[in-house]
Amino acid sequence: MAGKALVLGIDAGGTMTDTFIVDEAGEFTVGKAATTPHDESVGFLESAADAMSYWQTDHKSVYPQLEVALYSGTTMLNTLLTRRGKNVGLVTTAGFEDDILMGRGMQSWTGYSYSDRIHAVTHVHPAALVERRNVYGVTERVDVFGEPIIPLYEHEVQAAAQELASNGVEAIVIHFLYSYLNPAHERRAHEIIQQALDRAGRKVPVYLGSDLRPVIRENSRLNAALIEAYAVGPVREQLHKVEESVQSRGYRYSLQTLLAYGGLCNIRYPRLHETLISGPVGGVMGARYISELTGMENIIVTDLGGTSFDIGTITRGYVPVDAEPVLARFKLNLPTIAMESIGAGAGSYVTVDPVTKKVQIGPGSAGSTPGPVCFGKGGKIATITDCDLLLGYLNPDYFLGGKQKLDKQAALDAVKEQVTSVIGVDVYTGSEAIVRMNEREARDAIRAVASARGLDTSQYYLFGYGGAGPLHLAGYCEGLDFRGVITFHFAAAFSAFGATTADYQHRYARSVPLALAAGADDKAKASVAQAINRTWEEMERAARDEMSADISRSQKIKFTHLAMIRYGGQLSDLEVVSPMARLRSARDVDRLIADWEDLYSKINSRVARYEQAGYQIFELGLLASVEKVKPRIERHRLGKSEPDKKARKGIRNIYWKGRWTPATMWEMETLKPGNRIKGPAIIEHPATTLIVPEGKRVEIDEYNFFWLK
Amino acid sequence: MKATTAKKIRRIAPGRDGIGPGGSTLLEALKRNRQLFEQTGHYHGVKSLKLKSDNYLRYESLHARLRSSVVNAREMAKKISASPGVREVGESVVALYTPEGDSIALSTGIMVHVHTLSRFIQWMIEHDYETDPGIAPGDVFANNDPFISDVHPPDLMNVAPIFHDGELIAWVGTVAHELEIGGVMGGANQSTTAERFGQGLTVSAEKVAVNDVIRRDFLVRAQMNLRTPIYYILDEKAMVAACIEVREKVLEIVAEHGVDYYKQAIRSIIEEGRRAHLERMRLITVPGKYRSAAFSGHVFEGKVGASGLSTNCIVHIPLEMTIDRDAVLTIDYEGAGSKMWNPYNCPPSAMDGGFFVTLTQFVDFDGKVNDGCWYATKMILPPGSWANPMDEATCTSSAWGSLMPGFGCLQRMISRSFFARGFREEVFLGQVNTPIMEGGGISQYGGRFGAQNLECAAEGSGARGIMDGIDCGYVGWNPESDMGNVEVWEMAIPILYLGRRIWRDSPGAGKYRAGATFSSLLLIHKTPVYNLVSTIHSDKTFDNQGMCGGYPGPTARFQYVSRASNIRELIANRQPLPHVEGDPKSPDLQRLVKGDFETVDGVFLERPLRDGDLVQFFYNTGGGYGDPIERDPAAVQVDLDKGIQSLDIARRVYGVVANYNSASKLHGVDEDATRQAREQCRRDRAARAIPVKEWLAGQRERLLKQDFVREVKEMYNDVFGISPRWGREFRDFWNLPDDFTFKS
Repeated sequence: MAGKALVLGIDAGGTMTDTFIVDEAGEFTVGKAATTPHDESVGFLESAADAMSYWQTDHKSVYPQLEVALYSGTTMLNTLLTRRGKNVGLVTTAGFEDDILMGRGMQSWTGYSYSDRIHAVTHVHPAALVERRNVYGVTERVDVFGEPIIPLYEHEVQAAAQELASNGVEAIVIHFLYSYLNPAHERRAHEIIQQALDRAGRKVPVYLGSDLRPVIRENSRLNAALIEAYAVGPVREQLHKVEESVQSRGYRYSLQTLLAYGGLCNIRYPRLHETLISGPVGGVMGARYISELTGMENIIVTDLGGTSFDIGTITRGYVPVDAEPVLARFKLNLPTIAMESIGAGAGSYVTVDPVTKKVQIGPGSAGSTPGPVCFGKGGKIATITDCDLLLGYLNPDYFLGGKQKLDKQAALDAVKEQVTSVIGVDVYTGSEAIVRMNEREARDAIRAVASARGLDTSQYYLFGYGGAGPLHLAGYCEGLDFRGVITFHFAAAFSAFGATTADYQHRYARSVPLALAAGADDKAKASVAQAINRTWEEMERAARDEMSADISRSQKIKFTHLAMIRYGGQLSDLEVVSPMARLRSARDVDRLIADWEDLYSKINSRVARYEQAGYQIFELGLLASVEKVKPRIERHRLGKSEPDKKARKGIRNIYWKGRWTPATMWEMETLKPGNRIKGPAIIEHPATTLIVPEGKRVEIDEYNFFWLK
Repeated sequence: MKATTAKKIRRIAPGRDGIGPGGSTLLEALKRNRQLFEQTGHYHGVKSLKLKSDNYLRYESLHARLRSSVVNAREMAKKISASPGVREVGESVVALYTPEGDSIALSTGIMVHVHTLSRFIQWMIEHDYETDPGIAPGDVFANNDPFISDVHPPDLMNVAPIFHDGELIAWVGTVAHELEIGGVMGGANQSTTAERFGQGLTVSAEKVAVNDVIRRDFLVRAQMNLRTPIYYILDEKAMVAACIEVREKVLEIVAEHGVDYYKQAIRSIIEEGRRAHLERMRLITVPGKYRSAAFSGHVFEGKVGASGLSTNCIVHIPLEMTIDRDAVLTIDYEGAGSKMWNPYNCPPSAMDGGFFVTLTQFVDFDGKVNDGCWYATKMILPPGSWANPMDEATCTSSAWGSLMPGFGCLQRMISRSFFARGFREEVFLGQVNTPIMEGGGISQYGGRFGAQNLECAAEGSGARGIMDGIDCGYVGWNPESDMGNVEVWEMAIPILYLGRRIWRDSPGAGKYRAGATFSSLLLIHKTPVYNLVSTIHSDKTFDNQGMCGGYPGPTARFQYVSRASNIRELIANRQPLPHVEGDPKSPDLQRLVKGDFETVDGVFLERPLRDGDLVQFFYNTGGGYGDPIERDPAAVQVDLDKGIQSLDIARRVYGVVANYNSASKLHGVDEDATRQAREQCRRDRAARAIPVKEWLAGQRERLLKQDFVREVKEMYNDVFGISPRWGREFRDFWNLPDDFTFKS
């Protein structure tokens, strides 16, 4: 450690919790520990202590120095994917009770590969987050102008409230059509339901669509509210526990977490569903940071952890943000860094169907508790990690730097008994086949993402990280054509690293009904300007209220003012950054429109302009950001290609393509820029292992990045 | 205007320098392309996929990038559109074509148009557009004339040439389905016109943009002739933008790979598509002859104002599918009824559409999706039939009304073939008819409007061989099905939804049931006049069968209407309102609302609707798979809990005896009673059963007695006239006299 520790980033995956600590000089250290799902603060502290140990320091000196402690994780996503969330009650506009079952038709195929999108027999809706019996329709209707056409039938709300107060639901969502234009019915229903809950002495959180996502498209608004109610509760409890732990050790501020669009926010943030995929987002943020640093413009990022395999992309330096993403197969209207995820993590269970003898990987995963069989913590079912150990890919005495001893015999017994003897193959042949099968799944997922986003992989660099990323990198990239395949000595904590590159950032959006007819006069423009300014002011106020707790007085909030504009009649907006913070005149409105039209023409071609239709602004936005210190990645002079002798750790046999091959072992942290290592080789780090198969080599570049060639 | 007019157009003088490959004219290139296939049996004479074997990565990379150019352009076009059809439910497609008009790579979306765009390009080549009006860089041509090439007029298509060093090396094509196309009633699929002349604005292979700028006169015409021109104009801009986008990307790719490599690779990609199709057919089907039939009924009689549409009819849709020993698939519509003076005719390009959307969903979804499969299949369309009217005056605006049952037959037969080969997981009874709300009038904003409500694009699908069909998530014409948001539809149409919910008991029953579909109950809102019409709608006949003992889907039936209702009074007094159908014997709309209630069969247009009137509209779903009494009672219980099935149907159709617990709001299955009920059902069936011979004899008696409604007799008499072969087979099968006809 060169100076004061400033930023501590933690990424809690389904299996391991990774730490990344940055000091004021930009230097960093990484740590790793098992995730502790019952109380994530335990894993958090252990992982942080591991990272601190490499700086020969401990929590007593580090926590009081920290300016930022941030935590990102996949708890919420896992809660959602495994359908282990709260028992939710839904009060909705009568006649729309089945929306939870009908969803949108598109939820039965979005996110599928090109082939499966066409191959309709594969289409399936995601399971609903609410039981149909817990849906209450109440008569009311607001129309497209925001006018209440059917008043709220309060007696129906009363009846629903009575049941909701006594039927054991743990969270309630109120969601009416057009509540983004006129929230009066939702608010009144909330009052009635709250009274019933109070009378019954029940504390149940109530969520309103109009509070959470006040923008058009009822299905996306409903999904956001349901996810907030269903999956956020458990996460919030975890985050508070973590915060208490770090504060009790001297940390002076509130805990931060990472938003789906890449900013940091306080864990008290009222729309925590926006952090749904914060873990994987950290990785993309980190890759973008590296992209800016190195000029690698096109990157496919892959994160192989214990539980899942996540994929993101960066094209020409641009991280695709999906304004209407599909998360866990639900359509949302939440700007999100686009990511895909499959359950091909290294902790995935390997089982054999007793009848068909078909080997099945996943969908379950051992997580950290009980963990793979070789951890000796009570895990009984064979996993990919157990196979990795048998094949010599993992060092039984150097997992987590030796803190977790791996029991080879236990792994051998489990894999043999449960898998390879059942299918009648040799344990090593079988183990390798299973590992390759999992890598093939990951490779197909990369192909599917490339295909769905229309990317040509040969134009892209592939970043492989996550604890198990380097271990399987050569395997899952085989046969794919990339410009380069790269991993990092901090691969195990890459997502945590990425999170530390983020600024504080909150994003606000609000629907507004503004229109400018073609050839509108100055008066009309001035009135639109006024309405825009008013909304931006309101959002700035909200941002100051929400963010002031997290920043010191000296720090300034930088506002970026956004307008989502379309031609009259269009159904999609395009978001433009306003050239000024306030529109003071009709000319300022012209400038905003002109900037928008320039952007529109660039993206959609000039021919798509249609000034004669006039303009509509249905949504305004605000990005409020505060800069913070970031890790520094130094550029080194390239040294000799021959590594230092002390980096060499010996020889270990690995099983590759059906035979045992002696592989040279190297210590990753001791290798230097310029070094080249020929496969077969094993490059070990306390938190990860890079396998270099025969015929491949690794070159370390000036940034200390590892290129697998 | 007859198809023969083509011949009157001047042909290109031989030897003249053309814009096509190697200085040939496009027509010469087209002829050569066809010759090469005829002579070699391989697309463009490509006998070996050498490019692929020599450098797999380069070849695959080229294909991936070509495909990504069309996929991305479609996404861009969706964002420009003003139409809920394109933006909300994805009714568009973008594709890349060879100079002769064969598709190389396609986006997802309405896969219907893989070959319709081919036909459009080839029509222009055959009619020497190279000379007049000329084909130059920056040109865009539009068409929605089904007798040039289209499925029906709402599908507006654009194609643009891509030139490289003065040579046309590709075409890019795009289609957007318009929600308003002018015409008699407003909306897209005109269902109340008997002839072409009432079906809306027709663009017949026109040059609509020059130097990448859309002609102003083209836009003015749209402005003046449509009720809601914004959809059309912005979709047109979106399509031209997509064409430009793809062109630029393709030229980048060509610059990188070299034009010679590109030219060879596109031929290989199509030949590979052809081979992949045949390979897959070999792998998953059983050769042989398969037959199926569907019937689509239309009630027109007594409809005031339905110009020319005064006769009820049943469309006869027989289909024979042959898979030969080389895995070549041939489908033959011999026996299809005559062309009709109603909107349900299908020109050959529409049949192409139906064929392609089926093939791409069932066989050709993987690998190289392109015109290759066109070269590995054959389709026989009897001249003069609804499937090949040979008369440009006929109306095609609701072609889907015949296409969907027609290609539903193909889906069932190909599914049987999968089943026979052991690929039960591929069995899918997807295709069903889709009633659509069409119409126009005065909008909620005060101006005129016309719009189709395309929420029907997410009905229930038929069942699958290993699981239930897709609930509210499938439509045959677009595998990327969606119904869109109510908050968007209400922006486009003066309606206020009182309910959009699952239509209980709608799925065709089976061991695996069809997907549930939905119904919408609408209050007509803030308009003095809304002419609402329904289209693509089969009355009276089942056009979706089940398989392996599954029941058929419900035929799309009537709509409920209540005019001059007391709905405002009910609202003011906080009285219960209708949201769903309720008990079909006493629908909620009739039970709860006082008004001029009627049940309407078929299209309805007697009087326009207005503010305060109510309509309930029902969508369709498909047939079931397997015997319903073999359905897992636990699955029936889940359906009961979700409200997809009623206790009555659970008992009567599935033999599941269940009870409702009002405290838990869940259902419980009485296992003993269920077992008994199912055993009883089997006994009842055995008691009712008669030998097939006896049944056939009984049916023959009916035939001899001519014991059928008029529409059935008229249908068969028509088929006897148009297809003597089919008539002979019919008479032979039923052992009827050679001169047998029905007396009217």
